Amino acid sequence: MNSDTAKEILSAYRSKDRDGADPTFREALRQMESDADLKKWFDDQLDLDRTIRQKLAAIELPADLQAKILARIRGEKVRRSAFALPPAWLAVAACLVLGGLALFFSTRPGGSDRFQEFKSDALAMVSKQGGPDLDLETPNLTETQSFLREHKAPCYEALPSRLKLMETAGCRAFVWKDCPASLTCFRLPDGLLLHLVVIDKAAMDNADIPAGMKAMGDWHVMFQQKNGMLLMWASRAPMDQLKQVLVALRGVQGVQGELKSEELFSVRW
Amino acid sequence: MRVDLDLENIVSEFYSPLYRFAFSLARSEAQAADLTQETFLILSKQHAQVRDATKIKSWLFTTLRREFLRGLRSQSAHPEVELKPEHQDQLVSDSAVSQAIDAATVLEALTQIDESYRIVLELFYLADLSYKEIAATLDIPIGTVMSRLSRGKEQLRTVLAKTAPPEKISPSPQAKHLPS
Repeated sequence: MNSDTAKEILSAYRSKDRDGADPTFREALRQMESDADLKKWFDDQLDLDRTIRQKLAAIELPADLQAKILARIRGEKVRRSAFALPPAWLAVAACLVLGGLALFFSTRPGGSDRFQEFKSDALAMVSKQGGPDLDLETPNLTETQSFLREHKAPCYEALPSRLKLMETAGCRAFVWKDCPASLTCFRLPDGLLLHLVVIDKAAMDNADIPAGMKAMGDWHVMFQQKNGMLLMWASRAPMDQLKQVLVALRGVQGVQGELKSEELFSVRW
Repeated sequence: MRVDLDLENIVSEFYSPLYRFAFSLARSEAQAADLTQETFLILSKQHAQVRDATKIKSWLFTTLRREFLRGLRSQSAHPEVELKPEHQDQLVSDSAVSQAIDAATVLEALTQIDESYRIVLELFYLADLSYKEIAATLDIPIGTVMSRLSRGKEQLRTVLAKTAPPEKISPSPQAKHLPS
């Protein structure tokens, strides 16, 4: 065995306790005893390995990662044993989903299954041709909120004033996997709808909720967590316009007076 | 033969290296956490198919890498567009941003290594896999693992030497590659 071959083999060596007994390394290690250059190279190599491992070990783990993994594993077992047919509205909505959209979202990797399911089901509901089925059709946001409260559906009321000034198309109270949920549809100035789906965050089984707005097919979707609720905003409006609206949602409360459409879409924070 | 796996012990033993490996692939705290969770979820569903408990480590890293690649393919088929940071919530937490600049330096250096060497190095350093486990994970011959480790380490040493203090890491004066 020449020195170069020994180096190549020893490049895979980790430590005495893990690889010392591996016969593959024995001859190379033996050769090192009579080859000072090889010994020096090997010591440098172990030094480099140690340095890199130490640095990479500094990548912090999310504090609750292990708990989340265990919760998901346990949750998975429970769900599989308690599997039941989905609510009827899901079946109807699923039939109407735009080509392949549900399939796309249901097969997305990452994220909890439950969250992915919710995203898929909610999008199927709002993307129904002709618009989603509404329990109450009204341009008045206050009426939608009263309706949702009466029907024990979650209702996010701390909306910015700018959004409160927008007309609604209406709302719907529904149940997703035994969890009350609501849909409120706002009319954007260009006639398209901005949908707000609200559900108790606990319904997501501690799933990580992605931040930021995503363009998915011809839909734009964003999630927020507010007061223990998960808010899903979805619209077909162009990204540029929707960005402005959603950025405005974080903005100043208490703006009085009528909001012109150009103001709505030119907000800067 | 079916093997009874203690999933909780497996999670406890492997979630840290799996997450770090995922982070090196995805470069995103959230995506790394997702990939790690997804990998264990797949194990919980498919553990009845695991016939050799001693290969569970390789199985986990193989599965995580496959899920990551599947995600990449899916993203290229259905691209998701994210808004620029000024318009959205902070995607990476402050703790992640401030986490070990040294680790970031190494991860950045790894991006400059040839792809075929990089994955072998990541499995070696982050997953602490043996050369046999790396061969099993990537489904390549043992000799290839060794030559890629050797070449990859030389490349990494050279890249790091440009950014790290010279007394810590320096290029090998006899950098020389064997034929694969």
